[in-house]
Amino acid sequence: MVSAIDYALWIPVLPIVAFPIILFLGNVFKGMPAWRGRWKEGGTIATIVIGTCLGLSIWLIVGYIGQVTGNESVGQIGDWLSFHMVENGNLVSYSLGFGMYLDHVSVMLLFVASFLCFLIAIFSLGYMNSDPVNLDRNHRFYAEFLLFCAGMLGMVLADNFLWLFIFWEIMGLCSYLLIGFYYERPSASYAAKKAFLTTRVGDIFLLIGLLILWNLFGSLDFSVVWAEDNIAAVDAGTLKIALFMMFVGAVGKSAQFPLHVWLPDAMEGPTPVSALIHAATMVNAGLYLVARMFPFFASPAMAGEFTDLAMLIAWIGGITAFMAALIAFVQMDIKKVLAYSTMSQLAYIFTGLGAALWFANTGHEEIALLAFGASMFHLFNHAMAKGMLFMASGSVIHEMHHVHHEVAHHDSGESAAGNAAGGDHDGGQGGGDDHDHFDAQDMSNMGGLASKMPITATAMAVGSASIIGIPLIGGFWSKEGIIGAAWKASLTSGGAWMLGPALLLLITAGMTGFYMSRMWFMTFAGKPNTPVANGVVEQTPFIPIPLITLTVVTLGGIVFAGFEFVHWVADGHAEMHFTHVLSGIGSEMKHAFLPSGEENGALIFLVTMLTIVISTIVGPATAMALYGGRLQKGEKAKPWLAWLVSLSSRVRRNNHFDNSIWANSGLADSLHQRLHFDAWYDAAMLKIVVPFANACAWFDQHIIDGAIKGIEYGSQEGSSVIRRLTTGSGRDYIMMVALGTLAIFVLIWGVA
Amino acid sequence: MIDPMWAVVLGICLFTIGLWGAVTRKNAIIVLMCIEIILNAVNLNFVAAAAQHGDVTGWVYTVFAIAIAAAEVAIGLAIFLSFYGHNETISLDEMELLKH
Repeated sequence: MVSAIDYALWIPVLPIVAFPIILFLGNVFKGMPAWRGRWKEGGTIATIVIGTCLGLSIWLIVGYIGQVTGNESVGQIGDWLSFHMVENGNLVSYSLGFGMYLDHVSVMLLFVASFLCFLIAIFSLGYMNSDPVNLDRNHRFYAEFLLFCAGMLGMVLADNFLWLFIFWEIMGLCSYLLIGFYYERPSASYAAKKAFLTTRVGDIFLLIGLLILWNLFGSLDFSVVWAEDNIAAVDAGTLKIALFMMFVGAVGKSAQFPLHVWLPDAMEGPTPVSALIHAATMVNAGLYLVARMFPFFASPAMAGEFTDLAMLIAWIGGITAFMAALIAFVQMDIKKVLAYSTMSQLAYIFTGLGAALWFANTGHEEIALLAFGASMFHLFNHAMAKGMLFMASGSVIHEMHHVHHEVAHHDSGESAAGNAAGGDHDGGQGGGDDHDHFDAQDMSNMGGLASKMPITATAMAVGSASIIGIPLIGGFWSKEGIIGAAWKASLTSGGAWMLGPALLLLITAGMTGFYMSRMWFMTFAGKPNTPVANGVVEQTPFIPIPLITLTVVTLGGIVFAGFEFVHWVADGHAEMHFTHVLSGIGSEMKHAFLPSGEENGALIFLVTMLTIVISTIVGPATAMALYGGRLQKGEKAKPWLAWLVSLSSRVRRNNHFDNSIWANSGLADSLHQRLHFDAWYDAAMLKIVVPFANACAWFDQHIIDGAIKGIEYGSQEGSSVIRRLTTGSGRDYIMMVALGTLAIFVLIWGVA
Repeated sequence: MIDPMWAVVLGICLFTIGLWGAVTRKNAIIVLMCIEIILNAVNLNFVAAAAQHGDVTGWVYTVFAIAIAAAEVAIGLAIFLSFYGHNETISLDEMELLKH
């Protein structure tokens, strides 16, 4: 029988093969109408390839739906390279194989990656191909996009840490290429370098960690390093160092404190790239790596050894969540808000994983799996919601840009003497707008788009609701699980330190409510702030398809919750049948809203309620009071958005909330400076790296080059001395021969 | 019978004289003559050694050496003639093509 696993190899291979093909075809057919039109400069190929990958992934996943036990199938495909090493005087041969490892976590991520890649490919057909800036270089985008997808899909499927690392680096490379897609802009090339180098710091640690792991186990295969006997045989202290190093790698990739500085800058890439890499897939790589450390923590042989490392993971998550949410408060760039939101939400997952690892390491297996499942579920929800949010922001930016082009053109044509910047509905600040420096991503240029872009506004609202954790929508289920897990950990004996991350997460939930709502209301509510915003129409083809799809998926979070997604992904103990959905939803509801009989149930219930209150009422209400507002006269939003807009204007009218004290405080100032991290890092670079580089340069010039030059100079000098002996006269040569012979005789005589 | 040792001492003297002449003199013909002296010093050694050991091999070698020396002189003189035809001199100071 043909099984999906036989074809699973094609999932990463197809995009890798398509990558050079698109580049080649793009260079050959560049500029031809058919290539631009029907082939979308390679976009069609990319979409088909990714669509095939999605189909294969779904085929693969079907086998896992309804699986009662978590079966893990390992497909060893072949040896990649083998070598011999001398160990203790014996020749030992090693081989590094390539194979696939499938379990519930990897198929879940496989689905997330291929599904989002497919939708983003469709989105790009609309977004990239209708922008004249990208003309004749879209093939580069699509090719790199595919290579990136191959990296993510391959990483998820890899059955050992070495291949995981290789695909991880492919993603790093593609991230660099795609962020620097507009390489002619200095800011873009700077951002690309920054992202590459910052993640590189983490990657070095990861590599060191993997080498230590290899030293311990003599293999990097999952099946070997996770084997209970093998874990029991190694030294816990060394293993902890290896795990710590690998965690630092994950911190770099997932943009967590203190290696978070690259993510906001990475928004310089085209929006599909932001959606794909910096929200939906690549940043999940770090989470996946940490999730793959679970067996080490869960091993009974290591019980209690790694609690501090788990605590560190949770703390890093807590700090990042809080810090990123704080910085997101003041961002004016719509994509930057989403970037910080991404950091913050990923940090939630890190804390959830930290709690899960802590529980696993202290022997609370059941609750550990629950926390682990909740983290993975949040990863799923966040990827879907954030992918959608980024695409929606891309839609806004694209249309803004489009209208701005028209308006600017109109201006230069007709009002040479006038200063009226644009059309008839000149808003408050429209007069002085300098069109050459118009920022299509700045939210202060938007406003009132709810009626003009209904699909985008709906998608944005649903996505924000999922991120905020509004009850019953996607992210709610998982977020509650993570916060609950963190609190439970802090209440378990020995876990008091977990209280810090738990509190930070609770506060951040409210902050998330504020900054996501702020973004929505600034963009979609109120009156248009610029004539450009007034002229926006939703018209680009292809863009609505992914938005609508993801809106449905995000709203359907409740169904996934009912399917006991949390149990399914963690240990496979879930019966996913449609008949069970309703009872599943019922039990999830009960779990979330009613105090359970378990230990500390009342407090956990209180925490849950508090989270709901601050994240769905306090946060958004504050945002409404500051940024809400009625739409322009005559404009009507869709009914499901209209109430939101009018509610916001009512809240704003009734509460004259003045935040100028906050807005002008030193705190806001340092938030605008991103809490000075960039400045500190730059200063550190200047203090440490630059002198070190200078020292290296000196060493290179004087020691290495000096040695070479010395040899060269010395031999020249020496040869010019020796050359004088070459007189050309036969008699001198005879003399030399005679003296030489004499010398030889003397020597022989002397020795004898 | 004379002690072969004296023959060896004479050979050394002849060799030294020949080497001295070959290294110091300018005139190619004199140098050629000095080389003959060196060859004959060697021949003397051969003869002495043959007498010492009562072995005819040394005499046979001597005969060969004399024949080859004659041939060598013929070739050497031919080279000098040819050189003289080109350069109007046979001074060894002018023969420094090896330098280049």
